[in-house]
Amino acid sequence: MKFFGYLVVTILVVVFVNPFIPYWGIMVLLFLFALILKPGNSAAFWGGGFGLALSWIGLSLFLTIDSGSDLPNKMAQILGAPSGTVLVAVTGVIGFLLGALSSLSGNLFRNLVKRRPTDIYRG
Amino acid sequence: MKYLGFIFVFLLTIAIGYLGSIPLGPAPPIVPLLDPNHGFWQQTKSEDELAEEEVSLENLLNPVKVSYDENLIPHVFAKNEEDLYRVQGYVTAQHRLWQMEFQTMAAAGRISEIVGPIALELDRMTRRKGLGYGAELGLKFLEENDQETLRFLEAYADGVNQYIDQLTEARVPVEYKILNYRPEHWSAYKSILLLKYMSDMLVGDKDLEFSNLRKILGEELLNKLFPDFPLDNDPIIEAEHVWDFQPIPISKPDSINFPNDELVIDPLPQPEEGTGSNNWAVSGSKTKNGYPILANDPHLSLNLPSLWFSMQLSTPEYSVKGATLPGALGVISGFNENIAWGVTNATKDARDWYKITFRDKSRSTYRYGDEWRKTEFRVEEIKVKGEKTYLDTVVYTHYGPVVYDRTFRGERQDANFALKWTVHEGSNEQRTFLMLNRSKNHEDYNAALDNFTAPAQNFAFASKSGDVAMRVQGKFALKWPEQGKFFMDGADPRMEWQQYIPNDQNPSTLNPERGFVSSANQHPVAQSYPYYVFDNSYEHYRNRRLNNRLREMNNITVEDMKALQFDDYYLHAAEALPVMVSLLGEPSGLSEKASQFLKEVKGWDLYADPNQKGPTIFYLWWNETYNQIWSDLSNLNVSVVRPNNYQTTLLMKTEPESTVFDLKNTPTKEVAKDHVKKGFELMVSKLESWVNEEGDYSWANYKKTTIQHLVPQFTAFSVVNVYTGGGRGMLNATSERHGASWRMVVELGDEIKAFGIYPGGQSGNPGSKFYSNFIPKWANGEYLDFGLRNENQESTLLFETTFTPVK
Repeated sequence: MKFFGYLVVTILVVVFVNPFIPYWGIMVLLFLFALILKPGNSAAFWGGGFGLALSWIGLSLFLTIDSGSDLPNKMAQILGAPSGTVLVAVTGVIGFLLGALSSLSGNLFRNLVKRRPTDIYRG
Repeated sequence: MKYLGFIFVFLLTIAIGYLGSIPLGPAPPIVPLLDPNHGFWQQTKSEDELAEEEVSLENLLNPVKVSYDENLIPHVFAKNEEDLYRVQGYVTAQHRLWQMEFQTMAAAGRISEIVGPIALELDRMTRRKGLGYGAELGLKFLEENDQETLRFLEAYADGVNQYIDQLTEARVPVEYKILNYRPEHWSAYKSILLLKYMSDMLVGDKDLEFSNLRKILGEELLNKLFPDFPLDNDPIIEAEHVWDFQPIPISKPDSINFPNDELVIDPLPQPEEGTGSNNWAVSGSKTKNGYPILANDPHLSLNLPSLWFSMQLSTPEYSVKGATLPGALGVISGFNENIAWGVTNATKDARDWYKITFRDKSRSTYRYGDEWRKTEFRVEEIKVKGEKTYLDTVVYTHYGPVVYDRTFRGERQDANFALKWTVHEGSNEQRTFLMLNRSKNHEDYNAALDNFTAPAQNFAFASKSGDVAMRVQGKFALKWPEQGKFFMDGADPRMEWQQYIPNDQNPSTLNPERGFVSSANQHPVAQSYPYYVFDNSYEHYRNRRLNNRLREMNNITVEDMKALQFDDYYLHAAEALPVMVSLLGEPSGLSEKASQFLKEVKGWDLYADPNQKGPTIFYLWWNETYNQIWSDLSNLNVSVVRPNNYQTTLLMKTEPESTVFDLKNTPTKEVAKDHVKKGFELMVSKLESWVNEEGDYSWANYKKTTIQHLVPQFTAFSVVNVYTGGGRGMLNATSERHGASWRMVVELGDEIKAFGIYPGGQSGNPGSKFYSNFIPKWANGEYLDFGLRNENQESTLLFETTFTPVK
């Protein structure tokens, strides 16, 4: 459940905030959200990863299909990729890595902070 | 362990985030490029999806409405000219920002800033030619003489800059994203520089080559192979024209000596062969409707985004429409409610070279007559991406910059030549176009042209009142015979240009008896013109085809003129092929393929339509024959030019046994026939291997017309193998990389009827549906309706944007 919850949070962040800030801003935000929401390592990784990947894939597919533009295929040729569809996939993979790692970092950091009191508990 | 885990993941996150944001090798930063909210995916949107109803603009005096028609052609309706040009700047930047900036970067010799050291030589060349220097003088000229034009240029620049300032990352053109740089501010200087760049594209000289040829061939043979006037001269200003002015006396100084060195340096890059243009105007007496019709098709390198951007510019006083140059103000080739005009290149050896004798190695003084004159040093700072700034010192004499010297391509220590070029003089080409845009009649047109210096153009003109006119306008040096044909001695003041031909003595004609005016880059005048005229690149075929057709045509319609722009009659083949076929005779023992080729070319109707095989066979056969004939000249280790197709064909026809056909290095004595036979053999073997590799050898397939993106490496943004006919020397001059970059036909009746097309599209964005949408129509010889539009017209409206002043 935590996975789906965090997935939805990530997608909302990307859809509503990413148009106004660059990708590294989203990385910082996902780090903070994972830190605050503490979804757990696994949910942070998979939820953050799929969240960013799906929103990026969704938007790039939407833009391509809605416009009917051949630009993705042309870009693929210039960048040495086999096709525009591959570029959609690459966009997704990169989105996954950025989302997953940022969220996992946040969650791991939270774990550090959370554990500290038990470590120093002397009662 | 927990700490380690966190640190590991955290560092990995930072590393991936960071690596994604920096360029890796030649690749652009990958994450910003792929992020669909900001990266290239945003460029899939076309302009109609991004349309804004209202934009507020600073410094605007009144609201300005811009209506886009279905072809994304903006029609700007402003209350005054300052607003008009401010919005022209904004709108042009909106659609063509990357292109206009890239072209001025090229003109300024700043490509190294974008692509790194690979472009350093190119940038040095651009700067050493003094384009930037010329533009600075141009700006100074405006500051001192023409505040109005300067104010408009600044308004335009402000419009461009307001667009740049509001640009979001998502809307940054895709080329910036791939090449990883961002637009900088525009300025009046850049607009002037762009016009200087046009000069550079259109002007060449063969002084170096002719100097060498003179030494190698001797005067007599040189004049036989390269006569100043061709036998069939069909000049721009009708041959029977009477010159009604008292010429300024000028004669060749006695006992003058041209420097006689044989020079092994490379010549300056020249405009590509095939850059030329057609324009003509027929008077009402020759047209069906009784109205004058004007046509213009400038042939330039075929590029995407297109060189041209179509616009209508309207104020309460006038409405002008046609082709604009992104970066320059107003319409360059177009029409308004009263007149229409078109341009073709009027090259006339506008660049000359003077040998400079420096006093010593410091190069601070050089000989001029009995004195030593001081030089000036101009240090060019060339920023290079990824490397430190390159400083290049260029020596300036009173003639102009010393382009080649010991630091730049001068293989000989003394190869110091200064470039004399009208581009290095203050001038005001922009004003010509501003004035043409608002011209009402022939007088206004003449007054507008008086401001035009370079690159010299043939301005065709037609007016609603029934006039047709042509004027060859530029700032032409008044030269004595052969002055500037060869390299000259800069130490001899008699070699220097003394004065210029006054504007009113430039060749011009108004309403000639024959009922039409025309130009196709041929000789401007017949020999009766009192001044020396020379250029190596004059056209010999398009002009005669055009004039022959115009002479015989009557009851001309707009459709006829469109067809004439698309005419692909191969006049060179019509003249050369019978000569070649007769010299070839009836060869025996031909292979099956060879007989087939010969049969096909003999049965060909001489039109270079895309599906024809004849033009391919002729073209190859001619080229091989031509290379055979002039192989002695090609094998020299110095730069020369070879005689043109016209003169070569004439010699083959009239003197096939002449010694000019003999190759000096062979024991046998060759005549024209031998070269034709050898050429035929070579053609057969070349064409056979071509067929084996590529298949169908019909003309369009063989010629492979390509409309190339300004960054040639971006082949995906180019349109390749366009199925279309025509070629060099034909009215439809579409060759591999050159052709009609803009076609326009205007009928000046009670209601102006206008049609235009260019090989590209209004959008500069390769992802837009408006990027290359005109190409199929252009390739078929079709046109778009270019009629003037009213402010409140509803039909064929795509969207409207209103620019409102900031309160």
